[in-house]
Amino acid sequence: MGQEFVLLVSSTVFCVGACGFIIRKNPLIMFMSVELMLNSVNFLLIAYSSFLNSLDGQIFALIIMTVAAAEVVVGLAIILTIFRTRHEMDVDQINALKG
Amino acid sequence: MFASSWLILLFPLTGFIFLSWYGKRISKAFVGLIGCGTVGMSFLTSLVALSDLLFLPAEEGVGKVEVLYQWVSAANFKLDLAILVDPLSVFMFLIVTGVGFVIHVYSIGYMQDDPEYSRFFSYLNLFIFSMLVLVAAADFFFLIVGWALVGLASYLLIGFYKEKTSAVLAARKAFVMNVIGDVGMVIAAFMIFESFGTLNFIDVFDAAPEMFRPNDDQILLITLLLLVGAFAKSAQLPLHTWLPDAMEGPTPVSALIHAATMVTAGVYLIARCHVLYELAPFTMYLIATVGVLTAIFAGTMGMVQYDIKRVIAYSTMSQLGYMFLAMGIGVYSLGMFHLMTHAFFKALLFLAAGSVIHALDGEQDIRKMGGLKNIMPLTHATFLIGALALAGFPLTSGYFSKEAIILSSYHAEMGNFVFWAIALITAGMTAFYIFRVYFATFIGKTRSPDAHPHESPLTMALPLVFLAVLALAGGFLGPLVDAFLAPVFGHEAHHFHDGILETIALIVGIGGIATAALMYQVSKDRIELMKEVFAPLYDLLFHKYYVDEIYDFLIVKPTKAIGTFMEEKAEKQGVDFAVDQVGFQVKEVSRGISFWQTGRVRTYALNMVAGMVIILLFVVFM
Repeated sequence: MGQEFVLLVSSTVFCVGACGFIIRKNPLIMFMSVELMLNSVNFLLIAYSSFLNSLDGQIFALIIMTVAAAEVVVGLAIILTIFRTRHEMDVDQINALKG
Repeated sequence: MFASSWLILLFPLTGFIFLSWYGKRISKAFVGLIGCGTVGMSFLTSLVALSDLLFLPAEEGVGKVEVLYQWVSAANFKLDLAILVDPLSVFMFLIVTGVGFVIHVYSIGYMQDDPEYSRFFSYLNLFIFSMLVLVAAADFFFLIVGWALVGLASYLLIGFYKEKTSAVLAARKAFVMNVIGDVGMVIAAFMIFESFGTLNFIDVFDAAPEMFRPNDDQILLITLLLLVGAFAKSAQLPLHTWLPDAMEGPTPVSALIHAATMVTAGVYLIARCHVLYELAPFTMYLIATVGVLTAIFAGTMGMVQYDIKRVIAYSTMSQLGYMFLAMGIGVYSLGMFHLMTHAFFKALLFLAAGSVIHALDGEQDIRKMGGLKNIMPLTHATFLIGALALAGFPLTSGYFSKEAIILSSYHAEMGNFVFWAIALITAGMTAFYIFRVYFATFIGKTRSPDAHPHESPLTMALPLVFLAVLALAGGFLGPLVDAFLAPVFGHEAHHFHDGILETIALIVGIGGIATAALMYQVSKDRIELMKEVFAPLYDLLFHKYYVDEIYDFLIVKPTKAIGTFMEEKAEKQGVDFAVDQVGFQVKEVSRGISFWQTGRVRTYALNMVAGMVIILLFVVFM
């Protein structure tokens, strides 16, 4: 498994996540896309940790997972509240912050 | 030794604070008691200081500085909280507290019906305190503090009838004029500190003779700037316009502040700084010239006014001119002596005029008075005594002091014929205008039959009698005053004797009185005719030489025009415009770029990705 492969996989997964986040309107799917992006980075970190014989990358990956978990908690709570009040799940309709 | 002298200042201050806080909650009688009592105590303490001073051995006769503690000590600047107790300051203490006490007592009767009785007395006490600070100061710093405080007290008291627009305007005018003087004083104090490194009177006066040759630029500038303050406070040309207007205040205020005490502060200042002025003969000459010009200028204006208080106000200006003349020609103790006798007879004249005004329910126009001689015998007698003293009738106090100044103006080293002649003419005019008022007010038949005048109550009558005695007999204190003040001025004033000149002055004075009597005898038509013949002159005098109008045209109007112009151009079109534009432009720009903020999460994400791609491209290809 060479570095090129790792980079290719990682960036592919990241692009899939990014495209998914931009294209899809369902907040849950968007969340999953965010997770994809985060995990692509995690993958890269862990791979390079192994390439460079350093534990730093793996520790960083753990931190990112923790942050991602926390973020999901908050995000889901927000989504739930919005759904309860507005009974719809289209992010394009939620534009109260329009300038 | 003079530690008790602090009490002189402390009593009126206590009275002021007490009356300000509790004045409304205590009875009028108690307010009067506190107001007069504190000043009376002050006077008694001044007497103690006087006796201390008199029993000093001759070589310590110049008194001493009483230091309470060192107030400021920063680098080479040191300032003590101190008072100077010497013959000159004790002399002023006695006049301020003595005449002040009498006028306080008079105010009990005069202000009896005023709803703001306690406010009046607290202001009066504040004034006495301020004036005492001024004369007790041992350095230029506290001199200026006192100087500004009396200005404040004067402002408050002129504007005492705060519902009256004219009173408020007069108060403002007096304040502004006095502040012009204060600025001169402050600059002078800075220059003194720069030259001498200290503000202490004694140090400055000790060092001055070695430091400067006569008429050095520096000393000329210092004395002239001090003079600005003196002229403003003492209503000398060209800063005199506030004094006649200040008569809007209650009459006791006119008597106390604008006749007997505050306006003499300028004379006191020159006497106090005489060491500096002797080094600047040019300034001395200027003082004498301005003094004598003010004397005749005010005298001519006084001749045509109809307001009883205004006539006396012009005569105050005129007499202050005499004092300045005396200072200018170097006969300091004669000037101080005239200050004292003037305090007596001018306070008396004002209080008697106040008694008349009080009896006529506020009428001040002498054309509507007349025939009060029999109705108000006491007021009549005391006013007559005051008028005689002012006119310099033989053996009254004014005779001794004014005559001495007029003589000196010819015979003294710096005197000359012109000074003497103008002073003499002014003396004649003085006698004329004060007796014009006297005849119009007291003699003949009443001209306002509706009024029911009455003699004033005891609290007003007693001060009148007391001051009348002083105005009659005060002249005999002359040699005593001279000897008492000699240690301060270094020598006794030279008394000149010249039978011819004395006789001429006497004839002129009595001639003035006789002219007034004659004028009163001639019929109304003749007077009207005379007015028409001398119409231009009469108008000029009646409108006070149009000085107010000239100032209005030269200073007030341009200042207002500049103000309006700056408001239009600089304020509204400059500053305001810039501030408004900042807000407006930010808003415009925001409106332009706010289309980025769609509120849609997916757009933001797209923007982020786009940005990321651009950065990546930048990193890769650059």
